[in-house]
Amino acid sequence: MSTPIVEGPKNRFIDPKVLMRIQNLELTARTVVEGFVSGLHQSPYLGFSVDFAEYRPYQKGDELKRIDWNVYARSDKLYIKLYEGETNTRVLILLDMSGSMSYGSAEVRKIDYAKILAACLTYFAYHQRDGVGLVTFDSEIRAHIPAARKTGQLPTILKEITNSEAAKETAFKKPLRYLAEVLNRRGIIVVISDFYDEPANIIAGLKALKSKGNDIMAFHIMDDYELTFPFEDMAQFEDLETQKKLHVIPEYLRPNYLSILNDHMAELKKGLTGSQIDYTLMNTSKPLDAGLFSYLAARAHSV
Amino acid sequence: MSFLNPFFLIGSLVLAVPVLIHLVRREKSEVIRFSSLMFLLKVPKRAVRQQILKNLLLMLLRLLILALLVVAFMRPYLSDSNTPAAATSNDHGIVMLLDNSYSMRYGTNMDKMKREAVKRIDAMGGNDRMSIVAFNDSATVLARPTADRGQLRASVAALEPTFHGTRYYEAFTTADRVLQQYAKEQKNLIMISDFQRAGWNRSSRENVISRDVKAEMVNLGVENSTNLGIDNVSVDATSFTRTFGGHVTARIHNYRKDLPATVPVSLTLNGKEVPPRRTVTISANSTALADFTGFDLPVGASKGKVRIEADDPLMVDNEFMFSMERREKLKVLLVDGGKPRQTFYLRNGLASSTDLPMDVTVTNADSLRAEDLPMYNVVMISDVPRLSDRVRDQLVANRKTGQGQLVILGQYADLSWWGNFPGFPVKPTQKVIANRNLGKPSVSMTSFDKNSGIFKKFQSSVTFTLSTAQFFAYTQMDLKSGATALAKFEDGSPALAEFTGADRGLVVFASSVDNALPAGWNDFPLKASFAPMFIEVARYLSHSSEVREWYALGEGIPIVGSLVGGVAAVINPSGSREALGELAAGEQRFYTPTVPGFHSIQVGRDVRVVAVNPPSKEGNLDLIPPDELLASVQSTAAEARQAGLFTSDDQLDHARRQLSWWYLLLIAILAAVVEIYIANRSQRAASGAPIPGKRPGSSLFGFGRNR
Repeated sequence: MSTPIVEGPKNRFIDPKVLMRIQNLELTARTVVEGFVSGLHQSPYLGFSVDFAEYRPYQKGDELKRIDWNVYARSDKLYIKLYEGETNTRVLILLDMSGSMSYGSAEVRKIDYAKILAACLTYFAYHQRDGVGLVTFDSEIRAHIPAARKTGQLPTILKEITNSEAAKETAFKKPLRYLAEVLNRRGIIVVISDFYDEPANIIAGLKALKSKGNDIMAFHIMDDYELTFPFEDMAQFEDLETQKKLHVIPEYLRPNYLSILNDHMAELKKGLTGSQIDYTLMNTSKPLDAGLFSYLAARAHSV
Repeated sequence: MSFLNPFFLIGSLVLAVPVLIHLVRREKSEVIRFSSLMFLLKVPKRAVRQQILKNLLLMLLRLLILALLVVAFMRPYLSDSNTPAAATSNDHGIVMLLDNSYSMRYGTNMDKMKREAVKRIDAMGGNDRMSIVAFNDSATVLARPTADRGQLRASVAALEPTFHGTRYYEAFTTADRVLQQYAKEQKNLIMISDFQRAGWNRSSRENVISRDVKAEMVNLGVENSTNLGIDNVSVDATSFTRTFGGHVTARIHNYRKDLPATVPVSLTLNGKEVPPRRTVTISANSTALADFTGFDLPVGASKGKVRIEADDPLMVDNEFMFSMERREKLKVLLVDGGKPRQTFYLRNGLASSTDLPMDVTVTNADSLRAEDLPMYNVVMISDVPRLSDRVRDQLVANRKTGQGQLVILGQYADLSWWGNFPGFPVKPTQKVIANRNLGKPSVSMTSFDKNSGIFKKFQSSVTFTLSTAQFFAYTQMDLKSGATALAKFEDGSPALAEFTGADRGLVVFASSVDNALPAGWNDFPLKASFAPMFIEVARYLSHSSEVREWYALGEGIPIVGSLVGGVAAVINPSGSREALGELAAGEQRFYTPTVPGFHSIQVGRDVRVVAVNPPSKEGNLDLIPPDELLASVQSTAAEARQAGLFTSDDQLDHARRQLSWWYLLLIAILAAVVEIYIANRSQRAASGAPIPGKRPGSSLFGFGRNR
C-alpha cells in the first residue's frame, strides 16, 4: 500500500537547504523528528512494551484489562500498571550510495537529502525503542550494521551515514539477494535510492524481502532537474556513475527523456505497490517530512 | 538578372549568423555532470533525428525568409534577353576606324595610316570579317563586314583626307552599330588616328563600346607638332567707305611647345596682295595678332585671305578666308507734319555717328513729291495728319520694291485716314490720354519681342530697356489679322506693330517722337534707348542684314529669301552650282557647305559671297592618350551590367522587369506562414513538458501557442 505524500502546513517543515547547514547529523535528525512529533496531536505509538515501569492510579477511561487486579486485591485500590518501553519492531535502512546519488542541481544533493532522511528515520526509530540497522550499498553491500536496540547503536549508524560517500554504479540485484539471505527476522525495511536500475531487478529483489514478512518502504529520491530536465543549451552530459559523456541538445531530447523517465517511475510504482511495497517519490527541493509520515504509517502496520 | 540595389547584398551576412552561433556554441559547449545517462541513452535515435530534421527545416525556412528579404531589397532586375551573347567561334569580327579628318594631312600621316590599315587587312584570319569606317566629324562605312581583302584594300586606297574636324564619338557609335552585326565572332576594334585631343568632347562621355570588344589603338600622332596656323580672323565685314577704316585682325597660333616662330603674314583681297606684309613673332605654344587696315575696298563683296608664309607639315591652316562688303549708305527720308521737332530727335538719332550707314534727308509732308520717294531705302513719316493720294500710292508701290516705311501716329495724325492706308497693319481706334482715360499720369512700354529683327540685337543686353520712358498719351490700335505687336504698352495695347510674312515693310509706332513737353505725348526721345531702337528700325526696314565674315566648315549658313523671294542656289569653290529651290520672301533655309573656300549664294537677283574655313581647332594636334580615350567609351564590367538594365525604351517593360521583388516578398510571407505552422506544431509536441522561461519551438515571429 502506498502512502501519499502528506502536505502539512508549510511552516512546520524545515527547508532541506536549512538542514544542510547543520553539520551534526544527530542534531539534524532531532530537529526534524522533534519538530515533527511535537506537531502530532496524539501519539498512539507510545507504551507498547512488556517491561514493568510503575503504577499509577486508575482514571476513568482506562481500559479495564490494564488494571492490576493483584494490587487491587491487596490494597483495594485500582492501579494501572505501566510498562517500560521495549523494541517491538526492527527497522533496517537501505541507503543507496551509488554515484548517481551525488547529483544535485541546487545546494541539496540527493545523497545529502537521503542521508538526512535516513538519519531522521534512525533517530525516530531509536527513540521509539525500535531496533535500527543500516545497510549502505551501490552495486555491492558497502556496510551492514544489523538492526538492534542497544546503547550506542544510534551513534554507530549516524557515524556510518556521515562517513559514507556516493560512488560507483547502482545495481540492486546483488545487494538485495544478499539481504534476502541474511535477514531472518521480519521488520521494516526502508530503501532510500534513486533507483537507477531496471525496475524488474528492483521489484524482484524487494519482492523477495517482502515475501519474508518484511514491511518495505521505497523512497525514490529525485532531483528537480531530473524530473523536469530544464536544460536549454547544448552541452556534454557526463554520467556521474560511469563518467561516460554524451553531446546533448536538450531541446531535442527533453520530450523523450521525460517520457522514458515517467515510464520508468510508473513501472516502478506499479510493480512495488502491486507487491504491497510503499513507494514514495521525494523531490529534493521539498521538505522531507513526507518521508516520516510514510514511515509512521508503515510502522503502524508493522506493529 | 541584375540588381538595382546590390549594396543590400551585405544583408545576406545575417544568414551566416545562426550557423556561426551554432558552431560557436557547439565548440564551447559546457560539461554538465548528470546523475545518469540511463534515460538519455534510451532516447530512440529516430526521434532525435526527426527533431533535428524538423529544426533543420525550420532553420532552412528562416534562412530562406531572410534570403528572400535580402534579395527583394536588392531589387532584382531581369536583364534583357537579347543582351550580347558571348562569342561562340574563334573567328574575328573587326571594325577598322580610319581617321580622315583634315589634321591627318599633317606630314605623311595619311600614307602611314593606309600602310597600317593594309597591314591589319593582311593579318586577317581565314574566316575573319572586317568593316572599314572612315571618320572625321561624322562617320561613313566604307566597307561593310566582309572577308574580301581586295575590297578592303581598295577601300583604304580610295580614302582621302577631308577638311572636316574630328569627332571620335561619332566614330565609336558607328563602330558599335557595325560590331553588333558580328553575332558569333570575337569582336575587335582597330582605330588608326592621330588622336588629337580636340576631337574628344568630354561632355559626350558615354559607353558606346561594350566590354567584350577587344580594341587596338594605332597612334599616328606626334608629341610635339611643329604646326603654325591661323585660327581666327576678325573683320568688320561691312564698310561704307572706299578706304577701309576697320580692321582685319588675324590670330596666329604657334602650336610648337619648345620654340618661338617668326613668320611673315600677308593679306590678299580679290586675288591681289595688299602690301605691306606683316611679320609676327609668336612664343612657343602661344598666339600673336597680325592687323591690317587702311586699304582700298571696291564696291560690293570682296574675297579676302590672310596667309602665313610658313613651311610646316600642315599647310591647310596656313591661310584663312573671309568675305567683306562695301555698301552705299542707306538713304533715309524723314517726313514731318510741318513742325521741325517732329523729326528733330529722329534725325539726330540716325545721324549721331559718322559710322552709321545712313544718309538722312528731312522734309515736310506739304513739300513731299511723289517722284522723289523711290530713291530712298527707308521713309519715316512722323505724326503727319494725312498725305496726298499720289504720295500715298507711290509709297504703296515703293514698298513692293523693298522700300521700308515707318508711320508714327502722334497727336496730329488723322486716325481714320491712316486706318485706311493700304497695307496698314493696325486699325487706330482712339487717342488715349493716360491722365484722363486711364486715371494715371502715364504708361510705359513694358515688353518687346526680343526675337524680332528690330530687337534681336538687344537680346543679350542688360542695359537696353524701353520701360523708363513715360507715355502720357498714345494712339490705341487694334492689330489686323496677320499683324504682330513688336512692342506693347503696359496695358497691352500695341506700341510697335507690323505685318508678318510677305506683307512686311511697314511699321507703325503708336506715339509721337517730338518730346513736346509739358503738353506733349512722351519723354521717349530723351531716353537712352530711343536712338538705338530707331536705328535698328531703319536698318530693319532697309533689309540690310549683317554679313558674317566667315563660317567654319560644317556650320549651317542661313539663306534668307529677300523681300520678294526667288530661286536660291550656291556656287561652290570649284564652280559647280547647287540649286536650293524657290525661296519665298522672308523664308529662311540653312545650307551646310562640304568644302572650304568662297561660296557664292544667290537668292533671286541678290548675290553674296561667304567664306568657309576648315575648323581651326584641327590645327591643334595635342594628343589624347588612346587608352584614356578608349576607357572613356568602353564600359567597365559594372557599367556593362548596368547597361543591360536600360536597353529598351519601353517603360512598361522596365517596370515589369523590376516587379520580381514583389513576388519574392510574397514567397517570403508564404514561407513565414509555413514557419509559424511548423514551429507551433513543434511546440505542441513539446508542450507535454513545459519548461519555465522556455518555449521550445516558438516561431521566429513570436506566434507561439503558449504565449
